[in-house]
Amino acid sequence: MEYLANGSTRSLMEKLAILSDAAKYDVACTSSGVERQGTGTGVGNCLKMGICHSFSSDGRCISLLKILMTNECIYDCKYCLNRRSNDVPRAIFTPEEICTLTMEFYRRNYIEGLFLSSGIVNSPDCTMELLCRTLALLRGKYRFQGYIHVKAIPGADGELIRRAGFLADRMSVNLELPTAEGLRLLAPNKHRKNILGPMRQIQTGIQVNQNELTVYRHAPRFVSGGQSTQMIIGATQENDYQILKVAESLYRKFELKRVFYSAFVNVNQDASLPALPGGPPLLREHRLYQADFLLRFYGFEAEELLDEERPFFNVLLDPKEDWAVRHLEQFPVEVNKASLEMLLRVPGIGVKSARRIVAARRSAKLDFQDLKKIGVVLKRAVYFITCGGRLMYPLKLEEDAIVRNLTEKEDRIRLGSDGMTYRQMSLFDDASFADGLHKLPLSQVPPDRRRNVRKYDCLPM
Amino acid sequence: MIAYRCEDSPECIFTAIYRAYEEKCDPRDTRICLTEDPLLFAEDRPVTVEEEKAEKVLRTLRRRFGEEDLQSLCLCLASPSEDKGQAAYRTIAKGLGRGCRPGHLFDDLADPDVHKAFALARGAGNELHHLYGFLRFQELEGGILYARIGPKNDLTAFLMPHFADRFPEENFLIQDEPRGLCGVHPVGKEWFLVQSGQIFLRAGAEGESIEERGTAPLRQTRERLMFSAGEEEIQELFRCFCRTIAIEERWNLELQRNLLPLRFRGYMTEF
Ligand code: SF4
Repeated sequence: MEYLANGSTRSLMEKLAILSDAAKYDVACTSSGVERQGTGTGVGNCLKMGICHSFSSDGRCISLLKILMTNECIYDCKYCLNRRSNDVPRAIFTPEEICTLTMEFYRRNYIEGLFLSSGIVNSPDCTMELLCRTLALLRGKYRFQGYIHVKAIPGADGELIRRAGFLADRMSVNLELPTAEGLRLLAPNKHRKNILGPMRQIQTGIQVNQNELTVYRHAPRFVSGGQSTQMIIGATQENDYQILKVAESLYRKFELKRVFYSAFVNVNQDASLPALPGGPPLLREHRLYQADFLLRFYGFEAEELLDEERPFFNVLLDPKEDWAVRHLEQFPVEVNKASLEMLLRVPGIGVKSARRIVAARRSAKLDFQDLKKIGVVLKRAVYFITCGGRLMYPLKLEEDAIVRNLTEKEDRIRLGSDGMTYRQMSLFDDASFADGLHKLPLSQVPPDRRRNVRKYDCLPM
Repeated sequence: MIAYRCEDSPECIFTAIYRAYEEKCDPRDTRICLTEDPLLFAEDRPVTVEEEKAEKVLRTLRRRFGEEDLQSLCLCLASPSEDKGQAAYRTIAKGLGRGCRPGHLFDDLADPDVHKAFALARGAGNELHHLYGFLRFQELEGGILYARIGPKNDLTAFLMPHFADRFPEENFLIQDEPRGLCGVHPVGKEWFLVQSGQIFLRAGAEGESIEERGTAPLRQTRERLMFSAGEEEIQELFRCFCRTIAIEERWNLELQRNLLPLRFRGYMTEF
């Protein structure tokens, strides 16, 4: 194969540099969702909660050896560094090289496993075939039982995708852009149907496999860590509401484990793409992750958080605070009585603390000090809760006062919204977020607002 | 007031707990002390480890509270806090007293002792989870994997089963430098812990116990720390990977520091 010969003079180090650089815009780095004890032979096991092995200088988790098999590509997606029309150094790993790197890194506890993606060499089938061959080698000859995440190449034969599914723990097909329209504009060689096809196939495969497993406990496992996908945020004109609706329907209709959001980085300076002088829209990405968690673990629906009239997230308030401020009629709630569902809707109360509250109030009547011990962030929760019928201290429970307290004055001034009422602020947001404020880089978000910026790309769910 | 004077080990604390029950002490008027600090009006009872009693306590705890809560109790006892014995004892006494079901030992977080034990266990558990990821092996001559750690909590005994399950076919050592403790996993055998003195791998004289109990390949490491031929290159490859995987436009060293505290980095290949 001509492609295999192409980069063969490069050293392993050069190849790794090129092919990890080319893979870095893929956000998913989680190694979670699979519990697999060691077998007493071979190498490796998996932990349900996943493990982060390091963090790179951008604060993202390093859990898997994230590489492309090759950055050769016959396609020409506008946003991608590896597109055919770019003149960049190209390389291709042999399956043996990928196995060596994975095994040697894994033995030293650098990584939890392999994340293998690829540009399209020759054809989708040829590429998928090479990916399968690599995984088979790793699982077979090298007896590797750690975590493997592999991309399903859109357009590849269903049988190849099936084979990969029995070798991998997680598979993903990237949606790339939230709408078919966006895809047509920026990735002319990809079609929505070629992306949703394998996604559906994997979903069905997982369902069938689960039935098999209930009958034969030792049946081979198919994508047991579930499937995920990713969308690029800010390369096309979709608003937050549209994106969140897409995510919601992916969770519901395709039973995805995770949807990842990737703030667009303009690597090609292509004229058809936004310039983003302020850097990638990290705050927007951050808000989407927050909302995504509200959908999956807090019982919220996309419609509750955003709608046609308010299609963008608030810059100053996180989506849960924003929802609570708009629903003051439901607050304050009495911590000693409120249902778990309601507790989950209180800003400052997370999933763990809500559960702990429910457990702890069986044996004692909780006061504010207890809530602090349990892990509730009182600074944010006080406006929305009572303990034994009392507020923590006298407070004005009124929209504008609460918003003033939940936000920092310097931010309000910087964003020009100081002195505005919450209503004015919301209107003001709608008009200007789409291309201005919403592209704030995270570094400009004050530290207090950043406390929730955690390991969204690798959280154990 | 009765004060059981223990050394800092889970076995000793469990022995004391057994004795407190055996000797019909009232938990509200009994202390488990890890220090020699005198207590006014207290009757001191020194405790020495009795394996059988500790074992019995362990079995009871497992049966009554379940594996997960037992693990939390053990993690609590791995913390460096001087109050951990007392917090664990009171938590256990309360749990047994109210007949709590498995998985509910730490429900009553409004209780100061339960909260204390819970907080200590959570701290140790978080650090353990960090180390699952941040621990780094280096390959020595003969293919032995060697890791140095320096955690706040005493976690070697928790790390060993994790890595023994993961690497059944590797000879590996995990050395807790500040505690002078070393976990040893010889291929095909059970792992065990030894006191390593300061740095047995570098000196050699301290390595006697390893030699007695270890396998042939481990013996080689006694002389001095010799890396295998390929080690340097693999480390360089990983450093290269960590550099290129970061997205420049997203640079955020503060976030990196929050997620990977500096105290771990001295032990990590890539820093
Ligand atoms: S298919 Fe598109 S996104 Fe994927 S490597 Fe090729 S050009 Fe890049």
